[in-house]
Amino acid sequence: MADDKDVLRDVWFGRIPACFTLSPEETTEREAEPYYLLLPRVSYLTLVTDKVKKHFLRVMKAEDVEEMWLEYEGTPLKWHYPIGVLFDLHASNTALPWNVTVHFKNFPEDDLLHCASNSVIEAHFMSCIKEADALKHKGQVINDMQKKDHKQLWMGLQNDKFDQFWAMNRKLMEYPTEEGGFRYIPFRIYQTMSDRPFIQKLFRPVSPEGHTLTLGDLLKELFPAAICAEGGWHQR
Amino acid sequence: MFLMTATSLCSSNVYMSDSRRFKSYNKMAGERNPASCYLDERTFQLCCQLFLQHSETIQDGWSWEQIKGTDEGFMKKTVLMPVKPSVLHKQHEYSIQDENMVTDDIQANVEDETAGVQAVCEIHAVLRYEYHVLYSCSYQIPVLYFRASTLDGRPLSLEEVWSNVHPNYRQRLQQGPWDTLTQQEHPLLGQPFFMLHPCRTEEFMKPALDLAQAENKRMNYIVTWLSVVGPVLRLDVPLSYSTEVSAPD
Repeated sequence: MADDKDVLRDVWFGRIPACFTLSPEETTEREAEPYYLLLPRVSYLTLVTDKVKKHFLRVMKAEDVEEMWLEYEGTPLKWHYPIGVLFDLHASNTALPWNVTVHFKNFPEDDLLHCASNSVIEAHFMSCIKEADALKHKGQVINDMQKKDHKQLWMGLQNDKFDQFWAMNRKLMEYPTEEGGFRYIPFRIYQTMSDRPFIQKLFRPVSPEGHTLTLGDLLKELFPAAICAEGGWHQR
Repeated sequence: MFLMTATSLCSSNVYMSDSRRFKSYNKMAGERNPASCYLDERTFQLCCQLFLQHSETIQDGWSWEQIKGTDEGFMKKTVLMPVKPSVLHKQHEYSIQDENMVTDDIQANVEDETAGVQAVCEIHAVLRYEYHVLYSCSYQIPVLYFRASTLDGRPLSLEEVWSNVHPNYRQRLQQGPWDTLTQQEHPLLGQPFFMLHPCRTEEFMKPALDLAQAENKRMNYIVTWLSVVGPVLRLDVPLSYSTEVSAPD
């Protein structure tokens, strides 16, 4: 795990430059300048866009303001997906900055979850962590942690504190090789070309014959369309 | 009648004491058949098939939705439900100052019937509830998803859904609203639904499973599970399911 620290840091500190523009459908008292922001890949939109909201609220009347929601080229952005996933899913082949449109009315009830407060984001995040641990360790590691440990995990994410986060997360990433490592690998393959938002199946890290399996093995078994006939990679 | 010898269905309550953890481990290790600790997907589908056969017989309205090109699917049922107009509030009162948890609102709405009532002329409003029974491979148990809307298609808010939870269950669920009834993305359809969180399922199920096992009876897991969690969300599961539906072989 110590050798991977550089990789862990690179993943954590990954950023996406974004440009937020108010939707022309919104009623404003005066013109609003676009707002630029570097978005952390590992975080969630509703957690990091308070400044965006405040910026645009300045030009709007309170009565015209409902729950803020974001959209990219007509597609409502699902705040409950990590930002990096959203970008890779919708805009990875386009030029930076990522141009996101801001809305304050006509919330798309059929597409987006509501996000009334940070507690909702925290609950969602912790629920994902718990589900992942259910797959890795039958939930034993997360259940053995105290409430303050869970809080530290969340605060680490919320406040962008790598060390604070990983002090706790390393317990969840413990891979006891003598016990076969993780029971199952927690993974999701997100896709845009289907109603089904992602593929998530049970997958053991070790084959019945005892070979350690790779990401390639996983894709071959569960999502062969991702791998080109020539043996190269087609990423989505 | 119907039994599945199951023990802890998923990761138990997060802050268990040491003694309880020890007890669970022992249960899984020796006292019960390890193969039936959880509900595997095949058994889930078999239980559903038997459930659906009976639904067909009594015209209870359940159907199976198969995911095209896969061996996965879920059970679904739509219900029209008359409710008191007080269940419905002004549409999603979002305030830019309000960053508090919704529990305060729930309490107020339960107590004061006239607060924020939509101008509804009928004596009863009619809501459309759509229930989905899915299988969770992460927790290896079934999960109940649902969505609710007015007849003109307006989706209900979490607060309104709470108001419609059976009063007998409201207090218990209210202790951890964010752990039990939450808005979630439907894992197969990708749309917002509400979900009764699986980690509380064990609390509801344990007494029923213990009793069935003590009486050495084989049980259809889905019948027992849905009979317990359904009424929380005003989903009626007629008694004949318990008498007529068998366990899979």
